[in-house]
Amino acid sequence: MFIPVTLELLKGFGQSVNIFLLTLLFALPLGGVVAMGSMSRFTPLRAFTRGFVWVIRGTPLMLQLILIFYGPGLMFDLPALPRFTAVIIAFAINYACYFSEIYRGGIESIPKGQYEACQVLGLTKVQTFFRVILLQVIKRIVPSMGNEIITLVKDTALARVIAVYEVTWAGESFIKKGLIWPLFYTGAFYLLFCGGLTLLFGWLEKKLDYFRG
Amino acid sequence: MALLEVNNLTKSFGPIQVLRGVSFSLSQGQVLAIIGSSGSGKTTLLRCLTGLESPDSGSVCLSGGGSFGLVFQNFNLFPQYTALENVMLAPSLQKKQPKEQLRQEAMDLLSQVGLADRAGNYPWQLSGGQQQRTAIARALALKPEVLCFDEPTSALDPELTGEVLRTIKGLKEKNHTMIVVTHEMEFAKSVADVVIYMADGVIEEMGTPEQIFTDPQSPRTARFVQAAWDTF
Repeated sequence: MFIPVTLELLKGFGQSVNIFLLTLLFALPLGGVVAMGSMSRFTPLRAFTRGFVWVIRGTPLMLQLILIFYGPGLMFDLPALPRFTAVIIAFAINYACYFSEIYRGGIESIPKGQYEACQVLGLTKVQTFFRVILLQVIKRIVPSMGNEIITLVKDTALARVIAVYEVTWAGESFIKKGLIWPLFYTGAFYLLFCGGLTLLFGWLEKKLDYFRG
Repeated sequence: MALLEVNNLTKSFGPIQVLRGVSFSLSQGQVLAIIGSSGSGKTTLLRCLTGLESPDSGSVCLSGGGSFGLVFQNFNLFPQYTALENVMLAPSLQKKQPKEQLRQEAMDLLSQVGLADRAGNYPWQLSGGQQQRTAIARALALKPEVLCFDEPTSALDPELTGEVLRTIKGLKEKNHTMIVVTHEMEFAKSVADVVIYMADGVIEEMGTPEQIFTDPQSPRTARFVQAAWDTF
């Protein structure tokens, strides 16, 4: 039984990893856009963005998934999105909002003196951000980003509520055949993946250890 | 002909008038020390000169279109760059010289402030005095017409102020024009050509160090100078 179970779990796990990677691909930059909105000096934009972040962070991702998949059809008579696409959209928006708050916290924690030093040295705003501020922000947000990204690994299991196959579903499917051990085996997949991520973030933290501040 | 002409600068933050008409001029190679109690507008004046604040009215004229440099109280070095990289960053973004030449110029500046052997160190590996001297080299890298210092030794342990003040003295010998906001009376007395005592957003008195420190015309200046000497 071990080999068929492994193959089935790998099939599900592949899909989990797809959700994970595609979510990061979209949510990491989108979070930056949301962070800019929530720090905007233009009050209506700032208020709108912060309200949006409140709604997304204040409701379950599961509810958002269901709404994005069924909503367009039921509310506007539009054709339903492909299930996988709906998952990526819901995850990307949800995680972008969490990331945006981490980015904002990081950016706002950089002392004003850094910006002033850049200004008197004649750096442009773009040079200031990319040459001076960004790396300091990254160093400060690595631990919180690691936390959030590890949460994402396990949240991929939510995709099944709109019938997108992933590894938890694959593991559970063996219960019908009276097998309980594939569930523990499923857990091992998550553990290994998160273990790898923990090492990766630890490495990144160490890599940025050469400076302080 | 004056190098720098400051005319009737005013600046308010909300209802608080921090600068209420400040005028003075400075010639090439002169060192101006600005003294005064906290809240007298010294730092705001410096920030208006260097462009960190825009004055509500008045003008700042630097002949020949030169620029201001600024050395901060808290150094504000870029932590992810070495001393050398801190000095090189702005020139390498703004000047079209070959990297090797910029590097050599930056090394010369670090030697000038006595830090040639620290070029490869990150700010956290440097003492406060070394960090401040790196910040001075960084400000000099853009060859400013006027170099401003905002209480350059106030964040330092007492035993480290000397090395920074000596560096500033060294710059005077090289004929740099400088404006130094400071609480170091001894330094103001021995290095400055002109001293301004500020109180409540105006220049209460301006003169040579001898005049300000030994023969102040205004009773207010006299009280401040007396109190400042008593503290040291």
